[in-house]
Amino acid sequence: MLRIYDLSVRYRTASGEVEALTGISLAAPRGSTLALVGESGSGKSTVALAAMGLLPQEAYCPSGRIEFDGRDLMQMAPAERRALRGRRIGLVFQDPFSVLNPSLRIGDQVAEGLIQHRGATPAAAAERAVELLDEVGIRNPRAVAQAYPHELSGGMRQRALIAGALASEPDLLILDEPTTALDVTIEAQILELLETLRARRGLTMLFISHNLGVVRRIADRVAVMYAGQVFETGPTAEVLQAPLHPYAKGLIAAIPRLGLRRERLASIPGRLPDLRRLPQGCRFQARCPFAETACGMPQALTAVDDNTRREARCHAAASHASTPWPIEAASDPVERMQTGTAPVLEIDSLVRRFAIGRGRLRLDRGWPRFDKLSITAVDSVTLSVRPGEVLGLVGESGSGKTTIGRIALRLIEPDSGRILIDGTPIVGLSQSALEPMRRKAQIVFQNPDSSLNPRKTVLELIGRPIERFGLVPAGEIPARVRQLLDLVRLPAHYAYRYPHQMSGGEKQRIGIACALATEPRFIVCDEPVSALDVSVQAAIVNLLADLRDRLQVAYLLISHDIAVVAHLADRIAVMNQGRIVEIDETERITRSPSHSYTARLIAAVPRIDGVPGDAAH
Amino acid sequence: MTDRSPEPGQGNALRSAAVASPGAVGSVPDAPAPGATASAAFERAPRKPMSAQLKAGLLITGVIVLLGLLAPWISPHPWDTISIKTRFLPPSTTYWLGTDDYGRDVFSRLLMGTRLSLAMGISATLISLAIGVPIGLAAGYFRGRTDELLMRGADVLMAVPPIMLGLLVLAVTPPAIWKTAVAVGLVYVPPIARVTRSVTLSLATEDFIQAARARAEGPAWILFREILPNAWPALIVEASLRVTYAILLGSALSFLGLGAQPPSSDWGLMIAEARAFIDTAPWIALSPGIAMCLLVVGINLIGDGARERLDPRLKTRTAKG
Amino acid sequence: MALYILRRLLSVALVLVAVSILVFAVTSILPANVAYLILGQFADPAQVKILEAKLGLNDPIWQQYLRWAWAVVQGNLGESMLMNRPIAPLLFEAISRSLVLASVSFVLIAVIGIGLGVAAALRHGRPLDHGVSVGTYLGIAVPEFFWAIVVILVFASWLGWLPSSGYEPLATGFWIWLQHLVAPTITLVFAHLAHVSRLTRSSMIEVLQSPYVTAARAKGLPERIVVMRHALRNALLPTITVLALDFGRLMGGIVVIETVFAYPGLGRLIVFSIQNRDLPTLQASILVVAAIYAIANLLADLAYAWLNPRIRYDRSIA
Repeated sequence: MLRIYDLSVRYRTASGEVEALTGISLAAPRGSTLALVGESGSGKSTVALAAMGLLPQEAYCPSGRIEFDGRDLMQMAPAERRALRGRRIGLVFQDPFSVLNPSLRIGDQVAEGLIQHRGATPAAAAERAVELLDEVGIRNPRAVAQAYPHELSGGMRQRALIAGALASEPDLLILDEPTTALDVTIEAQILELLETLRARRGLTMLFISHNLGVVRRIADRVAVMYAGQVFETGPTAEVLQAPLHPYAKGLIAAIPRLGLRRERLASIPGRLPDLRRLPQGCRFQARCPFAETACGMPQALTAVDDNTRREARCHAAASHASTPWPIEAASDPVERMQTGTAPVLEIDSLVRRFAIGRGRLRLDRGWPRFDKLSITAVDSVTLSVRPGEVLGLVGESGSGKTTIGRIALRLIEPDSGRILIDGTPIVGLSQSALEPMRRKAQIVFQNPDSSLNPRKTVLELIGRPIERFGLVPAGEIPARVRQLLDLVRLPAHYAYRYPHQMSGGEKQRIGIACALATEPRFIVCDEPVSALDVSVQAAIVNLLADLRDRLQVAYLLISHDIAVVAHLADRIAVMNQGRIVEIDETERITRSPSHSYTARLIAAVPRIDGVPGDAAH
Repeated sequence: MTDRSPEPGQGNALRSAAVASPGAVGSVPDAPAPGATASAAFERAPRKPMSAQLKAGLLITGVIVLLGLLAPWISPHPWDTISIKTRFLPPSTTYWLGTDDYGRDVFSRLLMGTRLSLAMGISATLISLAIGVPIGLAAGYFRGRTDELLMRGADVLMAVPPIMLGLLVLAVTPPAIWKTAVAVGLVYVPPIARVTRSVTLSLATEDFIQAARARAEGPAWILFREILPNAWPALIVEASLRVTYAILLGSALSFLGLGAQPPSSDWGLMIAEARAFIDTAPWIALSPGIAMCLLVVGINLIGDGARERLDPRLKTRTAKG
Repeated sequence: MALYILRRLLSVALVLVAVSILVFAVTSILPANVAYLILGQFADPAQVKILEAKLGLNDPIWQQYLRWAWAVVQGNLGESMLMNRPIAPLLFEAISRSLVLASVSFVLIAVIGIGLGVAAALRHGRPLDHGVSVGTYLGIAVPEFFWAIVVILVFASWLGWLPSSGYEPLATGFWIWLQHLVAPTITLVFAHLAHVSRLTRSSMIEVLQSPYVTAARAKGLPERIVVMRHALRNALLPTITVLALDFGRLMGGIVVIETVFAYPGLGRLIVFSIQNRDLPTLQASILVVAAIYAIANLLADLAYAWLNPRIRYDRSIA
């Protein structure tokens, strides 16, 4: 159905030409699902744009052919391509909110394709739109068709987008990270929907994602991309189980697996090459542990197994076939010790509500008053964290886990309940009286771009907490900063850098260093790796594990990613809609959860090894 | 190959980072940041070259400012000497822009007027910044009742068109040009406060502010050492545009007789005085008008050029009027 | 939605009350002595005393305010010091003349400004866009009174097409009435066109680059539909806000324009009252201006709320 031959795409930018894609060759046979995986900068989204003819003006294709159903897309006239786009190729984007026009009703937006490409009348198209909304599993489709995008939840918007893409009965559906912005349980539902649709309509799908678990579930074949090239292709199960290319090996070894006993994760050192000055030979050479001199030659995509059509862009693929990615041991492993039993953090019956609007107007003792509509974000939560322990807090959006993390540090005020840090109650104290507490409890944030003041150097960033609490004399601050940089494994000269000069992973390390600067007893880690690429995640996860062991600092690890939490945490608390539904040792929860919600949550996580959650029912 | 596709340099859905939500949000690549090298000796990111816009703006404004500063020494003729003999002379080699109804050289008066316009623009803007920025910071950071109160106050002041507010203030006191500057400054406090507030609001949601609170930093530190350093770029851009508004408003007030007084060579006043002779001696009115236009365009170019260079994340929409 | 309207009306009322206090405060508290201001510094003290009593200046300030405010609410705007006539009818006549001028200008500015802005955005990067950009850039740099001078110079002096000032009531003839209206209108339009045009253009460009427009193109919709259905609706929303702001600037503009063209409207009345220290007239005029501006903003807010589905429809489907 879709064949791409030797496609290259370059962008003209102010600082030179960027080669986004080099010699891409892919094939998606009719009725199958091909997945493109890669981290940011791999070029996978560019492939989708190119296939649709939607590349921006500054992009051009020095070579290549894109064949859709036997016809070359690049040779067509724009009008023809446009007709093809709507009629036979559907595109589902990543962020459902900004992709829907906020001023048009859902039904109208779904029906547009029909009116344009299939010549339907507005009335007939509207009817069909309702049918499609029903097909994608939206309850009450007629009401939803009349609604505007801002009135729907994320999952419903994504379903509506899929309905819109299906409206003109396409043969090929291109999906770019369709479930990335969704909760795990919703993601599972959408994936199920896609599988059903594919079977029912005989769709061919091009599925782009960075999430290997999702890909395992939905794709027949997968192509792993890196720095604009395809590094490996083959049937999904085989590639994910036994990858051939070193990069694929590293990537898969870097992913924490639910249920697998916790070992160190593999991390891929180094960085993506500069796409303006690409190396002649293998683009992964600088980061590859198997690198040898022959890697300096340009690598071609060679077939390794003709039967299953597995290919890898590495001359050593066959010879290293059974060698796993080397996992470095901790530099100086430390035995974890218990340092006392008194908990560092205790939360008792914590409640927090948020007002979301006004209800009806009533008369309350003669005065007109509005009913306050509120949601209970945290509904009487009780938990405690022992010294040196890692307590994981998992849940989906709206579960209240982030709120708890903020309340524990009194960055958000609770409505009621007790909080004790190292035995000292902190509710009811004024902000200035909290100062001693602030030393002992720190926080690491999710988004590395937002957690560092862009106008300060690393020295100022890490030095300020030290200065603020007077931990060392002023003259010794630079030395202390260097020590902390060493602790997070960054070179000392980074002290003079600004945030915009560092990568995401490096910024996150600085964030961790800032939190450690006050020598805290416990740290709230609020989605510490969620905004990072997989290979970088692994390094940060390893770092957090090492720091936990060496410094005996406790973590409250908050994340929606159960696999990451299970890797690091001793105990896990599962939250749903403000309540803790289950709290227990990690092993027990992941193997045999008692609560049905936990079971559902674990079952919904897409697995690389394709094994549905051990926690069945 | 492409059809009517989006503009260069702008993101589209496929390249934009996703909104804050669970799941691996638009992953931050571990790619080398611009200018960062792996070697031990690093430099700050290389400065982007100045756009043509910025250069043009700096050139035009620079020339005018220079002429204004050096006016007393480079004026070909004294600006205030009355001479009946030389009245209404059209532009010539002796009198480059002609003479006015009192026989004074228009060009020299123009140069001296430059200083007045610049002084008006800058002093009025400084006043509005001095009062407006703290108000905006407080409103944006503390929110709640403080915010409500301050913004209601700003709304009240903005309920009257700026020129009328200026007229109101100047109506009750004998006119003098410094009073005009104060009046214009006060009139522009609300828009500056609003812009500061919106910048502060967007910065206050950043995690590094929460990190500062987690370090037990007090509000003063957070406002002046965390937020303000990040707010300056947007404020400077807004301030530069305010200078142009202040110059225009100030000269309008002078035109109406409520600013500079004769025999001052304020541009607005010059145009007002030249109105009567527009048929016979248009150069008297046209010269200051064109000069003002050039100055405002120059400053606007600088302001817009500066805005291009800002970190897009910290860019805000500026309030107009 | 109904609740929204109610809240806005309440807010308008509060703002007007606050403005009235402000206006009263400035004109009564600032000057050291209002009577001296009116009669001049060297007036006879006996005269001053009489005037003070007449103006009720010996009462506490808040009493003066309440007296004045109560009168205003009843429709009595006081008496003009200068002309010894009641202000209200004077003001009403002046407003109606100004409103004619302002409305015609406003409509022209809106239509031409938005049209130019959208056209420039659609041909982004091409000659028309560059022309509009440069033109508007220069346009916002020119003060209104200068535009007035130029218009007079070109249309009245050189071309002789239009009278350079004055006003004739409609009663004397439609054509001559129109003639006197043209020059001030052209000036106002020139002066404010640039501003509206620029903002429309940038709003439209931003919308054309938004994800949902890309998605619409991805659906294979023809460009015409993409623009008309998807882009325009969302681009016009901020334009409404801009137009409302611009109405205020327009009202400020008429002060200068009417002075230059000797057009007997509200603007000229205000300037006269300032030049002659006619404080009561000044107070009343500014209050009325604030009221008109507030109503214009309210209408704009309502239009915005009605057109923006996020505000209009506040139901929630889980």
